Amino acid sequence: MIQPRSDPPVIETHDLSKRFGRTVAVDGASFRVERGQVFGFLGPNGAGKTTTIGLLLGIITPTSGTFRLFGGAGPAELHAARQRIGATLEYPNFYPYLSGRDNLRIAANVKGMGRRDIDEALDLVGLARRAKSKFKTYSLGMKQRLALAATMLGDPELIILDEPANGLDPKGMRETREIIRELGSRGKTIFLSSHLLWEVERTCTHVAIIQRGRIMSQSSVAEITTGTTVAGIRAADLLSLKSTVEEYPGAVWSRIRGDRVVAELKDGDLAALNSFLAARGIFASHLALEQRTLEDVFMEVTGADGGPEAGTGPGADAGPAADEQGGHRLGEIP
Amino acid sequence: MNVSAPFRNEMLKMWKRPAAWVTLGLFTFITLADLGREFFEARKDPTDPFALPEAWVQVLGEEVMIGLIFGSVLLILLIAAEFSWRTARQNVIDGLSKTQWFTAKALLVPFVAALFLAERTLVGGALAWAGSQNAAAGSGPLMGLAQWSALGGFFVAGLGYGSLALAAATAIRSSGPAMAVWFAWFAFGERLIAGTLGWLFEGLKPALRFLPVATFSKLTDYVQYDPVAYRRAVEWASEHESGAPELYDPGVYLLVSALWILVLVAASYGWFRRHDL
Repeated sequence: MIQPRSDPPVIETHDLSKRFGRTVAVDGASFRVERGQVFGFLGPNGAGKTTTIGLLLGIITPTSGTFRLFGGAGPAELHAARQRIGATLEYPNFYPYLSGRDNLRIAANVKGMGRRDIDEALDLVGLARRAKSKFKTYSLGMKQRLALAATMLGDPELIILDEPANGLDPKGMRETREIIRELGSRGKTIFLSSHLLWEVERTCTHVAIIQRGRIMSQSSVAEITTGTTVAGIRAADLLSLKSTVEEYPGAVWSRIRGDRVVAELKDGDLAALNSFLAARGIFASHLALEQRTLEDVFMEVTGADGGPEAGTGPGADAGPAADEQGGHRLGEIP
Repeated sequence: MNVSAPFRNEMLKMWKRPAAWVTLGLFTFITLADLGREFFEARKDPTDPFALPEAWVQVLGEEVMIGLIFGSVLLILLIAAEFSWRTARQNVIDGLSKTQWFTAKALLVPFVAALFLAERTLVGGALAWAGSQNAAAGSGPLMGLAQWSALGGFFVAGLGYGSLALAAATAIRSSGPAMAVWFAWFAFGERLIAGTLGWLFEGLKPALRFLPVATFSKLTDYVQYDPVAYRRAVEWASEHESGAPELYDPGVYLLVSALWILVLVAASYGWFRRHDL
């Protein structure tokens, strides 16, 4: 009988840590990314996402812990494994005096790719017409797209993208999301680091949440958001509604999201909550069970204080176009 | 380990880098200005021709040092900028090992030294050859053992100054400060340290003559390689009642230079390997 082939995880880390002097950037991070996953690496700015990726890519040396890429752990195996990765870290890093095409030539020479691959990558990200322009003349959005093109050169099995939506306008964000989904549908494994909750929720199949260098939670996005329901409550005065909900013994946490307060209930008993509120002079104009969002999970596992600036609310549904409201970026981890 | 792809990339980056053309162009201008003057003066005065092979003493004279300085500046620009632009990091992410990246950069050192020496030799040699057409035939072949020896010594000196530039660029990782440190060491830093140590420890004085810049600079003295040019320099010195030029064995300085180059490249590599990108 033929045994089913079991591929090793594409990424597997065990107690990975990195210290910079007294600062612990990554603190015992352990996670697994399996083949074909679109894996979101979610955390606020400074949580240790980029450092973790840097460790995986060999540009930062770990203080302790181990990791495997495509099952390999030794220096030679890791170097070979990295040939199967396309990655970009933080900002797009290119030679400012070279054209977009020449910058891709640099990456293509390293990866053993040719002119045709460069043309295809430029076409895919819509930069073919500006390929001869110098990189320093590109807008940030174009720079991000060039980084995406460089990442995809050589048809890598694992694509690592660090904050790919940085600097993109809503249209660019949507295009990037579509490219990521397209790559995911082709069976590529994608590791997407982001501080944008909606970006991860809409793009990824799996997620790990990192805060202060520690992995707080890891699961599939579906599992993590459907396990629990939350109550959505609307009343005239949201602030007093929130403080009253916090007094309710069955509430695990509560926060304002858009025009309502959402709260996780231990028992899901809306009638009991409604009575509790009414007894304190608060009459809900809306009370319903809602599906938990990734943001709810994030707030729960990190213990972050959920203020309006962190709320996804309608902004999350509307996507990037609704990001800017009242001077805050909605759907962005505070 | 395959370094052909990264070295091809280095050539592409250098070819397209305006700073490379500016430094090379500026050195060509200096060469043309310096030797062009000799060429035109010789045309006015046929008794003092600018003709090969005698003209090599001017072509491969002190101004060669300017080329080696320009070469070092170019190396710092080519290497240190990779850290500030974070392209060194991206090159490694794209699949180069740190060793491949460093090796490609280290190969730039001989390439740049050869480039600036070739520029001086070809432009100066061409001017002197043109001068030879108007003068009475010079003595001996156009380019003999003395000139080849001198070029060999200059090349090793170029490797030395370039290795210092490589060390400054990889340790400091920023073009401006790396250039400042390189110049400071070259112009007065080493002499200051040698003077201080010599004053504190009298016994160290013989060894302090072999600090890097002191050693490399000994290799850039053309008259050490050309007995005819040395004899003329001695004659000139006695006519002008000045001290005769010191004659020393370039072989010793070649050996010490080679050791310094090894030490500097190894230290740069160790430093580069140990630090995160």
